[in-house]
Amino acid sequence: MSKVVGIDLGTTNSLVAYVRDGMPVVIRDASGDALVPSVVSLGEDATLFVGREAQRRLLTAPSRTVYSVKRFMGRGIEDVTDEAKMLPFSVSGEAGGVVRIGVAGRELTPPEISAFVLRELKHRAEEHFRQEGEFDFEVDRAVITVPAYFNDAQRTATRDAGRLAGLEVLRIINEPTAASLAYGLDRKNRGTIAVYDLGGGTFDISILKVEDGVFQVLSTNGDTHLGGDDIDRLLMLLVLREMEIGGSVAGASTKPDAPYNETADAPAEFIQSIRKAVIQAKWDLSDLEETDIEIPPSAAAPRGYRRHITRREFEALIQPLVDRTLEPVRQALSDAGLLPKDIDEVVLVGGSTRIPLVRRMVEGLFERPPHSDLNPDEVVALGAAVQADILVSGRREMLLLDVTPLSLGIETMGGVVSKIILRNSTIPASGREMFTTGVDNQTAVDIHVLQGERELADDCRSLARFRLRGIPPMPAGLPRIEVRFQIDANGILSVSATELRTAIEQAIEVKPSYGLTEQEVERMLIESFEHAEADFDARLLIDARNEAESVIHATEKSLRRPDFSVIAEELQPGELQRIDEGLAALKDAIGGSDREQIHQRTHALNHATQHLAEVIMNRSVREALAGKNVQDV
Amino acid sequence: MLECRSCGAGAPVDEHFCPSCSRILALARHGDYFSFLGVERHLNLDLQDLERRFRDLSRKFHPDYYYNASPSERLASLERSSYLNDAYRALRNPVSRIEHLLAIEGLPPAKSEGAASGSGHSTPQPPATLLEEVFALNEELDEIRELRESGADGEMLRARLDSARKPIERKRDEHEEQLRVLSGQWDALPSDAAPEQKKRTLEALRERLLERNYINNLLASIERELAGFGLSTLGSGAESQEPDAQSR
Repeated sequence: MSKVVGIDLGTTNSLVAYVRDGMPVVIRDASGDALVPSVVSLGEDATLFVGREAQRRLLTAPSRTVYSVKRFMGRGIEDVTDEAKMLPFSVSGEAGGVVRIGVAGRELTPPEISAFVLRELKHRAEEHFRQEGEFDFEVDRAVITVPAYFNDAQRTATRDAGRLAGLEVLRIINEPTAASLAYGLDRKNRGTIAVYDLGGGTFDISILKVEDGVFQVLSTNGDTHLGGDDIDRLLMLLVLREMEIGGSVAGASTKPDAPYNETADAPAEFIQSIRKAVIQAKWDLSDLEETDIEIPPSAAAPRGYRRHITRREFEALIQPLVDRTLEPVRQALSDAGLLPKDIDEVVLVGGSTRIPLVRRMVEGLFERPPHSDLNPDEVVALGAAVQADILVSGRREMLLLDVTPLSLGIETMGGVVSKIILRNSTIPASGREMFTTGVDNQTAVDIHVLQGERELADDCRSLARFRLRGIPPMPAGLPRIEVRFQIDANGILSVSATELRTAIEQAIEVKPSYGLTEQEVERMLIESFEHAEADFDARLLIDARNEAESVIHATEKSLRRPDFSVIAEELQPGELQRIDEGLAALKDAIGGSDREQIHQRTHALNHATQHLAEVIMNRSVREALAGKNVQDV
Repeated sequence: MLECRSCGAGAPVDEHFCPSCSRILALARHGDYFSFLGVERHLNLDLQDLERRFRDLSRKFHPDYYYNASPSERLASLERSSYLNDAYRALRNPVSRIEHLLAIEGLPPAKSEGAASGSGHSTPQPPATLLEEVFALNEELDEIRELRESGADGEMLRARLDSARKPIERKRDEHEEQLRVLSGQWDALPSDAAPEQKKRTLEALRERLLERNYINNLLASIERELAGFGLSTLGSGAESQEPDAQSR
């Protein structure tokens, strides 16, 4: 039987988990790392890099590397103009259509780029199952998580990404709800839980009631554009300002409207080195009271940059961002008909909840210390794995009842929205609306579907336009067309219609406002099969490079040992020279894309260092024994 | 009568699973949330019991458990789950519970019509019993607006709005009390009560409900006025305008 997994497809990092012997576990790589950075890079020769490898290329090939793509899922160009300015890749698209991201001369949609990340996770999981000795290690089905506050277009885009990655998407579930499932496993208690989820790019708050293993979401709220990315951006602006470089990050510069990649005075490599430095400082300040932001010298800043920053300074800087989470929390509580004191447990999810200020604020708000016993980076994937297991195993101990985060409505005369399914309705949910014709013998009616809480259609999210066709010709006002809106357990909408007088099922043409049409997805699927072989080669190349890097790393580490001069005395004449040559040759090879050459030179270096390794090992053994002797005396 | 799509056997309309093959039944046109959840057609419901029924049925219907089932069972699961969610949402709130009762008893409350007819946003005439209060309130609101335009002190205006709201809130409390009394009356009617007697109670309920909705709209307009001053009053009755507000 092929395998099912749970996937947390994050703004910054993604990870994959599955259920083993009834318990969810995340899948790690050889070095124990569970996180796959949600970064994709295309090499000069169209080699595809995903994850850590792609993340490294942010510094060396920033214009060919994309990240934080989740922020563009299911959105139009008019939504993302501001955001695009802070990113070093080009973002385009027609008004009212899907965003396209330019990577190394190719125009890719966000679902396609996300599919690369998903495929990497699929591969990682398959590799894991293969090593576990599973006979059928193929991973073809997955539960994928999305922010609770994602709208229909964003959910659909995520599902499309899964399909493009060759996965059957069993279910789209909400991240905070997934987290609560992971927490609920060993504590099958009852009570009211608040899940505060501040990730790399999104913020969610969900209020749940847990009883008899039923996890019922009472309300949810959030901001799909608030997270660690925004904190990084504030720090980057601070640094740029202080370095007096007129770079344009997020437009708050001397040239506010200059697109990022046209700003000659702040090259992409340089911006990425700043980004890396401020992220490190941000991490440091979760544990330390003060740290330094350090940027190495480069062409753009020959003297480099170093700045001391205290936690107090950092907190003052990010306070306004953290405060933006308060209103969604209040709204969610009010929608659930609860006060902060009614909450029994608070769960923290997402990397940004490691920030002490965030923890203090959440604790103050609910007047109780939040739970964070599970790794906030991993808990969502664990919950997704639990849900995947429920779906395929038919286990019934636990059930998740989620809600739709936004009201669904249709445009009526005067551009006013008539709500059909209210926000925080438990899903699956359905709604009906009656339509008729305005002109004699009219055979078609146009319907505009929207999502959002505002009164006017212009202020809500356009989801799709439908045309009801084949209405039997009748005098105006006589047809009674019932349109049914069905939100499924994924939070995704489908629509059907019937003319009640004749019981004729109406044909519906769907034009998603910010999604891919079925035909586009089909075409991309075909293309991805065509690319599959090239991708497979690329994967082998990456594996070869990774192996080479680890051999280089180990060799260099040995050569740098403080006691190396003593060790060198035990080496044969010319041995060190052979190692140096092998090292240089391999370093040269990993810059290219000749996989066979990398393999050969890795092997050669391994061979050249075999004796050195023995010498070092013997020395360690001798030292260990000597130490023992001393103690024994 | 329902027909099981799996085995073709017949089943009573309030059954969820086929009596002969025990598979989930497709949902036919079902109009009665009370019988769907298996509770009496009463207006005072035990909310804990209702919630337990909702959870139990969710465990039986939810699409999670039909992932490997046949397409017709999957569809039935989706339809039954959606209907259950609608039913629970409508019945747990006392106001929508009355509205549903009126609808299934053949006295639908005058609701705004569908979108295509475009009549969704006309303001209804104030009910006769409220004319006096509405008139006084509108006058006061006009005056306050004028004062605000001439730059009057915000705190003073706020105080005036607060006192203008008092009589309306009193009216609302009266109506909610009357709704409670009428609900008790409805529940106490014997099952073989004369149709005229039933109708009288239902009509009284409908009357009070329409007035109550009108009162809530008035309170909402005061709230908007306050928001216009940047003086939002949180809590005081604003929540009860939410269509699905919990009864507390």
